[in-house]
Amino acid sequence: MSNQLTTNRRTFLKLSGTAGGGLILGFNLYGCATLPSDPLFTALEINAFILINGDGTAIIRAKNPDIGQGVKTSLPMILAEELDLPWEKVIVEQAELDSRMGSQFAGGSTGVKTNYDNLRKAGAAVRDVLVRAAANQWNVPITEIKTEDGFVISGRKKLHYGHLAEAAAQLEVNENPPLKDPQDFKIIGKSKSDVDLQKIVTGQPLFGLDQEIDGMVYATVLKPDVFGAKLRSFDATEALKIEGIIDVFEIEGMDNPTRMVDGVAIVADKLWTAFKAKKLVKANWSNPRGYIASNRQLMADFKKGINAKGEVLREDGNVDSEFRSNNNQIEATYDVPFVSHSQMEPMNFIADVRENEIDLTGPTQTPGSAAGLANMITGIPRENIKVKFTRIGGGFGRRLGNDYASEAVFISHKLKRPVKLVWNRENDFLGDYYRPAGCYHFKAAMEGSKLTALDVNICTTSRYLYRGSSPAHGTEAFPDQQPAGMVPNFRIAYTPLLTNIPVGALRTPGMNATTFAYQCFMDELAQNAGKDPIDFQLEMIGEEDRDMPYSDHGGPSYNTTRLRGVINRVRQESGWDQPAKDGVSRGFAGQMVFGTYVACVVDVRNANGKIKVDQVHIAADCGRVINPIGAEAQIQGGVTDAISAALYESLELDRGKPKAQNFDQYQKLRMKDSPDVHVHLTDSNEQPQGLGEPSYPILFPALVNAVSRSIGKRVRELPLKKHGLV
Amino acid sequence: MANFSIDVNGESRQVNVDPDTPMLWVLRDELNLKGTKFGCGIAQCGACTIHLNGEAVRSCSTPISAIGNASITTIEGLSENGSHPVQEAWMEEDVPQCGYCQAGQIMSASAMLSKIPNPTEADIHQNMSGNICRCGTYPRIKKAIMRAAEKGGNNE
Repeated sequence: MSNQLTTNRRTFLKLSGTAGGGLILGFNLYGCATLPSDPLFTALEINAFILINGDGTAIIRAKNPDIGQGVKTSLPMILAEELDLPWEKVIVEQAELDSRMGSQFAGGSTGVKTNYDNLRKAGAAVRDVLVRAAANQWNVPITEIKTEDGFVISGRKKLHYGHLAEAAAQLEVNENPPLKDPQDFKIIGKSKSDVDLQKIVTGQPLFGLDQEIDGMVYATVLKPDVFGAKLRSFDATEALKIEGIIDVFEIEGMDNPTRMVDGVAIVADKLWTAFKAKKLVKANWSNPRGYIASNRQLMADFKKGINAKGEVLREDGNVDSEFRSNNNQIEATYDVPFVSHSQMEPMNFIADVRENEIDLTGPTQTPGSAAGLANMITGIPRENIKVKFTRIGGGFGRRLGNDYASEAVFISHKLKRPVKLVWNRENDFLGDYYRPAGCYHFKAAMEGSKLTALDVNICTTSRYLYRGSSPAHGTEAFPDQQPAGMVPNFRIAYTPLLTNIPVGALRTPGMNATTFAYQCFMDELAQNAGKDPIDFQLEMIGEEDRDMPYSDHGGPSYNTTRLRGVINRVRQESGWDQPAKDGVSRGFAGQMVFGTYVACVVDVRNANGKIKVDQVHIAADCGRVINPIGAEAQIQGGVTDAISAALYESLELDRGKPKAQNFDQYQKLRMKDSPDVHVHLTDSNEQPQGLGEPSYPILFPALVNAVSRSIGKRVRELPLKKHGLV
Repeated sequence: MANFSIDVNGESRQVNVDPDTPMLWVLRDELNLKGTKFGCGIAQCGACTIHLNGEAVRSCSTPISAIGNASITTIEGLSENGSHPVQEAWMEEDVPQCGYCQAGQIMSASAMLSKIPNPTEADIHQNMSGNICRCGTYPRIKKAIMRAAEKGGNNE
């Protein structure tokens, strides 16, 4: 991109200071009395995030990968706000991997919440040096200077940022610059279209799959159709006869299956040639010992798991004693399947491994870890590895792992030439790291409509155990998840299950399964007690303003007033207390998810036993909203994504092989079944939280509770397709 | 390998490829038109949708040998600078999230509107259900189509 170039025509040093760190220039250019209206430089870097152009516009670097969650727009909005530069004067560029920017990744709905304070400071720091430069030049006190619309103003003196940038660049950056009063925000809280919008709708090459580098060849991979199988041997005789084929060779998996797995690389001058040749490669694989052959086998393993004595993660009061003395007991078991990420852009990566340098380009949620893997594979030092990350055609957690980037590095390293690796959709299903499957057993004791004891036993195919990290319950079972702390006698135990099925993070890891199970069981308890499901949960939450200790992501606590706030809001907006339309059944769920409070009401229709989702209301309190139009999109998207998973999605196995390896067999939600999603955002001044994930888990129980009411029978296993309901 | 002369976005283009090469790869890797996207390779997701004589077709499953004299329009050729009413409506509604499927969605929507200028919800469901959006932008896609229709979306 042309505006990325530093083409200043004056001679000064290019700066490289961190936000809040020191900026030093050896000499001062300023002192001239008259100023050109547009100084002749572009992209003068003031700190790692902000580059000023001579015409008074600025380039703002978007630090994190954008997977569709909108951080390429929302994070620069925070910088522009404190820089006090009109959004129209901002040119957003994707940053590269750059240690000055702090951690650069897309995951856990953390982009806004963890960067908000730092980016405000980084933006304000640049505004602050511009103001001080003007103060020096005009010889007036800082207190008599203000900024407005990208100008620095004092009395009748007025200069745009381009005029002051060079002088500002020579000043030391203030680590604690004055911040705006949020009441004066002009950008934060105002809807801004996605910065790539025009490029997207005109088909410009933004994505990893669209990138090319000089001299590159194409590669694809052959993968086993039983997960975790090892390559014994292969025969590429026929494939090598195809015109344009360059090489076929083994990819040796790494010890940790999340880093790179066994396969056969097929390299050609054209991608289509590589795809064709792949069909001619014959490979022998040895299946892993004890692999999961069928869904039935998996269910049997889960039943063993929840009956085993799991590790107790939390125990309040005395559950056993309450069960001995209280016979009003209810038990239920919920099951969730493995779910594919099926992000629209298939896996791809470009690697150019040279003698002692590597250039990587591609879609990754964790560019730093891609560089780390490239170092492990080649031995080339990290400081010689550059990573450019592209706009990403969907992440959903799949691209937190970089196994495909590893493959590109491995292939380029072996061939000693630049390679663009592309998977086809079948590779994607055979090479996915699925949402862990799990089983959730609940036993409750009730006194009237009061829950007096709850015993939770969870068994899942832990992604922590799969990748060899601990504790195994990490993101699989959440000891403080609601209603923990609201029930006098409470216990939760966890048993991990290790299988050959690759598992990884998928949108609200773990929480997307536990929320389904917990919030459906709460609905069962309410029904059993003859209570309205919302009243039941509100009574359990209580009327006090309490900060509930919460040791997982979204903690260290959550607030019951804010939780009640979203529940009451959705109750009102959905018309919960009015009779439902004819043929409509409603379901409710509400909870804190990753720091954001969400409550959801789903309306379903039942036509001859087939369920149609009619509409969804969702209230969310994520603290201060940075970009309302983007926030609404994230919430709608999470809900719509969850409807797809709830209706259709599960990994079905046949002798260990996935039955579905493409969208002809793996059904996704389409336009005709996609309902209206009404989003009700809380107007809040609280610290901003993330939104890429929280709406996803809450839809499952709200939908399934509506379905159970509609068909008059509890559904406790996803997806609904399994029950003939769609 | 064989030589083909094809009409793409109003220009005659020459390529030398295997006759079974899908138009998707001809466009992307021979003509460097990257707007048309690869999603599934089996005409199930719609990311690769182009117009063939104005009809929406899946370029991943249309070999170049089947093109003949038909005129091809890709997202890059739909308008200059994104001024097609469907593209404008997409921007006004801020439809995309990741954006990967949107070229295909826009090509399907514009083909539909050229035949059905004032589509009903049922028309939209029928004509747009061949395109998967994994991010869940369907509610905004629907609004954008309605908006484009109001403005005369059959601007071809």
